[in-house]
Amino acid sequence: MDSKKAVHTYHRNLTIVLGLILLVFILIPTVVKSPYILNIFVLVFYMSTLSMAWNLLGGMTGQNSLGHAAYMGLGAYACCLLVVKTGANPWIAAVFGMVVVGLVAGIVFYPCFILRGPYFTLVSIAFGESIRQVIINSEFFGRASGVGLPFGSDSWLDFRFTSKVPYYYVGLLMMIGVYLVMKKIDRSKMGFALKTIREDEDAAAAIGINPTRYKIMAVVISAMVAGLVGFFYASYIRYIDPELMVQAKSTESVLPAVVGGAAYVEGPIVGGLIMIPLSEYLRANFSSILPGINMLMYAVVLLAVIRFRPTGILGWYMNSRTKNFIDQKVLKKPSLEVLEEAELMEYQKREV
Amino acid sequence: MAESPIIEVKNITKRFKGLTAVKDVSFTVREGGITGMIGPNGAGKSTTFNMICGYYPPTEGRIFYKGQDITDKKAYEYTNMKIARTFQIMKPLKNLSVLDNVVASSYFGHAGAKNVREARERAMEVLQFTGLYEKRHVLSKDMGTPDQKRLEMARALATKPEMLFLDENMAGLNPAETEEAIRLIRRINESGVTILLIEHIMQAVVSLCEEVIVLHHGEKIADGTPQQVMNDPYVMEVYLGTKKEDTHA
Amino acid sequence: MSMFLQACVNGLLMGGFYSLMGMGQNIIFGVMKIVNFCHGEMLMVGMYLTFILYTYLGIDPYLAVPIVAVTMFCLGSVIQHTLITPSLGTKSFTNLLFLTVGLGLLLSNGALVIFGSEYRSIRTAYSQTYIQMGPVTMALPRLISFGVLIVVTIALFAFLKYTTIGKQIRAVSQNPVGAEVVGIDVKKIYILTYGLGVALAGTAGALLTQFYTIFPTAGASFGFRALIVVVVGGLGSIPGAFLAGIFLGLLETMSALFISPSYSDLIVFMTFIVILVVRQTVIARRR
Repeated sequence: MDSKKAVHTYHRNLTIVLGLILLVFILIPTVVKSPYILNIFVLVFYMSTLSMAWNLLGGMTGQNSLGHAAYMGLGAYACCLLVVKTGANPWIAAVFGMVVVGLVAGIVFYPCFILRGPYFTLVSIAFGESIRQVIINSEFFGRASGVGLPFGSDSWLDFRFTSKVPYYYVGLLMMIGVYLVMKKIDRSKMGFALKTIREDEDAAAAIGINPTRYKIMAVVISAMVAGLVGFFYASYIRYIDPELMVQAKSTESVLPAVVGGAAYVEGPIVGGLIMIPLSEYLRANFSSILPGINMLMYAVVLLAVIRFRPTGILGWYMNSRTKNFIDQKVLKKPSLEVLEEAELMEYQKREV
Repeated sequence: MAESPIIEVKNITKRFKGLTAVKDVSFTVREGGITGMIGPNGAGKSTTFNMICGYYPPTEGRIFYKGQDITDKKAYEYTNMKIARTFQIMKPLKNLSVLDNVVASSYFGHAGAKNVREARERAMEVLQFTGLYEKRHVLSKDMGTPDQKRLEMARALATKPEMLFLDENMAGLNPAETEEAIRLIRRINESGVTILLIEHIMQAVVSLCEEVIVLHHGEKIADGTPQQVMNDPYVMEVYLGTKKEDTHA
Repeated sequence: MSMFLQACVNGLLMGGFYSLMGMGQNIIFGVMKIVNFCHGEMLMVGMYLTFILYTYLGIDPYLAVPIVAVTMFCLGSVIQHTLITPSLGTKSFTNLLFLTVGLGLLLSNGALVIFGSEYRSIRTAYSQTYIQMGPVTMALPRLISFGVLIVVTIALFAFLKYTTIGKQIRAVSQNPVGAEVVGIDVKKIYILTYGLGVALAGTAGALLTQFYTIFPTAGASFGFRALIVVVVGGLGSIPGAFLAGIFLGLLETMSALFISPSYSDLIVFMTFIVILVVRQTVIARRR
């Protein structure tokens, strides 16, 4: 009974801490009025979401894609073109964009999944560049000059606002929603399949996992999330062009995950919260004197993390004394055995 | 033999770019027993094994499991047929705990767990059976070789196989650890699992197996009970004669 | 017909650069099994080095080639020793990949910070000299560069085939454990290999300066083409890389001539994907 109480306290404390963090994020726009700061938060939200999309494929499945900017761009293009050419509602266009990106990714990568290791990365780069070239060369996609969304009065129906606050909340919601989906996948049968494939494809096949099938599932989900981010980006900036899909953008989408800790679902969010404000600060204050300084800083941080903390910031935190302290003093986390026991009791209760 | 064989290998040959690794090998594995496959290094044991496990197909010949032709089945289809294998070079999921390693296996195969609870319960059961229960929260990369070898078996068992292939599961273990591994393999067999194993250590083969197949230069040179095989003059010459350092028996 | 011949020659001259880049990449991949995603940026660094030597010290771009090669070799060795070798130990492919990606970011943005985004070029006395050979016109620098490329390629073949270090490099690429067992200092070979690969990229950069603009992301397209060359020519195969580079140069100019210059990138990428997938399927079937 004592152990049950301890577990209960732990769960309560955990809920309180997470609730407080969430509350801070909800309250930020009521305190912060500067559009510049709000813009940084919106950036953090959608870049972290894009990075989570990458992480499903890169961190969890071990398939290092360098083409996520292309999925995002494709999603953005699909949405915008549907809105511009048919006058469809942007929310419907969002779903359309996700489906298109998912389908394209599934069809393109189906034959590519016989390739292992660096080949997949190379194909993802070539694929991204190809899509960009197709758009640049096609009148339908507006060539290099891009596509703009119609301007007009504020409206939820058209997801169009002059203020940044609505984008802030939708972005936050998107990030949390995608996080919950990823967390769910991480703990599910599919998550175990993906992690087994990451460690060793032969070992995965030996316990009855069809590697191709699960890799396709991962790539489709990952591309769909990237497409969703594309929709959000297009609605926020209201203008898209092929520059969106250049190689450097794909690399940028990976950084939060690798810096935060690619093995963790939370990694991209942690990495995004640290890296993007830093980058924006440097861009705003120094880019007129020293262009490229923000990306240079990205590169230095990335190299330092890989060299000295190969498991990322979260990987470092997980084995740190800080975590021990927080677990014991703040959250009052009981031992693993006690947690396990409580879990088994929970199962039995559900049984009855 | 009264019972029908669970595995029947018919004239399999494997060539890699002109090099013949396995040549015209045929044998059967009796249901419910422990069969061993021995031979010096480069005898084609692992190649034969990989073909039976669906890792790659034979160039010629067929493989039957319970009378069904499984030659062209893919590796991942095997657990659905209640066949599991281990790897000579251990392939644990390095960054996951021992428990999660086994939970992952419990989800797949013919009796794949339907939910978290079933998967965890089965994993716990298997961990207790293989003696890894106490170490269930350790990351698998932090364990020593004997435990990793056990984990290989635990992961295979979590798919609930009827037929288990063990690839050099005792290589690199000291005599005491080998004894323990032998006891575990016997217990697995007693629970109704047919076993085919590759082994270098003669002691293990003699004490475990009812039947032994000897390969040399990719060809089967003898089969029978361990005593019969050990007394075969040709086996003595090519295997025991040239590889004395491997014969602990 | 003369257009076709001209395109052939241009393709050949460009293909030489892809070959050189591809061979450098291939040595690195062969030995360490990592893809060097900053290979193009190394070429860019080579270009800027040549530019500095020419503008501030007045050294002719072709005389600068050996200086650039040696400097780049040192740079590569330092990077290998301080960054890549320690990360090889973690055996995390993701980390190694993003280590080289990060290096690429560092170099291209470092160049942006130092030199700004302006396009720069080197114009020597003979930059605009053209040579007429039948129906084909060639700029003199392109011809000289191609000549140097051929010499470097032959020297590389000879180095790998006949010298002790070359043999050690090949041994490590075939079997690192076996090489270590017979007493080869594998870490030293890693340093030499990465230095050599980077030096080849720098050399290509130095040779390009007279007919290619110099800017911080100048290396990107060469970097990716080097990867294509490696994959098409076969991972670890140096002669394969040479032929694939020439093929790629010809493919580019031919698609520009017969289809449209704006589609030539697309055609290169698509050809790459198709070749890659088809070949892997064939290999998978044969197994």
